[in-house]
Amino acid sequence: MRRYFFEVLALALIGGSMFFFKESIDYLARRDYVASLIVMLIGFAVITVGKEMARLALVQRD
Amino acid sequence: MDAAAEPVPERRWRRFADVVALTLGVNVWLSLVVVPSVQVDALGSAKLPLLLAPLLVLALGIALRSELVLLGGFPSTLLLPISLTPSIAAAHLFGPVRFFVVAFGVVAYLLAGSFFMAFHEPAEPRSSRPLASAAEPRAARWQRRERTYWLLTGLSVVCPLLGIYWVNYDPAINAFLAQMYSGRVASMSTLLNVAVLALWLIIYLYVFLGVLKPHRTGDRELVTTLAEMRRQARGGRPRLHFHIAVAAALALMAVLVLMRRG
Repeated sequence: MRRYFFEVLALALIGGSMFFFKESIDYLARRDYVASLIVMLIGFAVITVGKEMARLALVQRD
Repeated sequence: MDAAAEPVPERRWRRFADVVALTLGVNVWLSLVVVPSVQVDALGSAKLPLLLAPLLVLALGIALRSELVLLGGFPSTLLLPISLTPSIAAAHLFGPVRFFVVAFGVVAYLLAGSFFMAFHEPAEPRSSRPLASAAEPRAARWQRRERTYWLLTGLSVVCPLLGIYWVNYDPAINAFLAQMYSGRVASMSTLLNVAVLALWLIIYLYVFLGVLKPHRTGDRELVTTLAEMRRQARGGRPRLHFHIAVAAALALMAVLVLMRRG
């Protein structure tokens, strides 16, 4: 059960990080470079959390 | 005289490899250089040696049976006439369908040349017996590896093709080139094609070969890394990365909110 929870969480976080990268591009288009950089870093942080969740799901599988 | 030291006779597959390389190489030369040159009337006597140069390199590669000449020298020499007369590679000469036909010929030459030239037939053994493991089904890790190799091979074909197709046939890029480089569209297209190929080579060297290299040494480094990761994972708790990433995400979101409010 925990494995599925971690897998869903990992998918949601990795998928959700794409939203931040898209927002980053939108900020770039609006020439708001600082906001774009910050949102991109948030995206990287969220994808890192998703990666950790995926790792934990893998451990549960073993 | 020891039988193992006897020279292996020249096999028919060697001649087959030569014929395949010659046929596919000539096909690439005709479709990529000669036919477009005829179309743009670039067959002048001054340019003839350059047009024939790839053929000479191909013949040299087959005579020497050198992978370097066949897979590196011949494709590079094909670029010589194109660099002098960029209109040879102009997108309007090819069109999407012909582009994919020519690309198929190039890919077939490269894959066939690479496969047949790397094929080494061992000497006939005096006797043979099947190994016990030969009867067992293939291990899951080998099946995974094979899938990865097929995936990388497929991507090696698709990535550069899509890049070149995009540069040459995307309406927005064509309109931009026509607007910004009026009269020099063919030169700029050639430059963009070279840039796509250079970018692809860099990606191939660092990403694709980067994946394959550990496999070549029997995954020793990969196995060590995985064992280390498993050891860390046995605790079933998130690593330091997780906490840092959560803190960073929250802090950055707070910064963003403060910026918006300010």
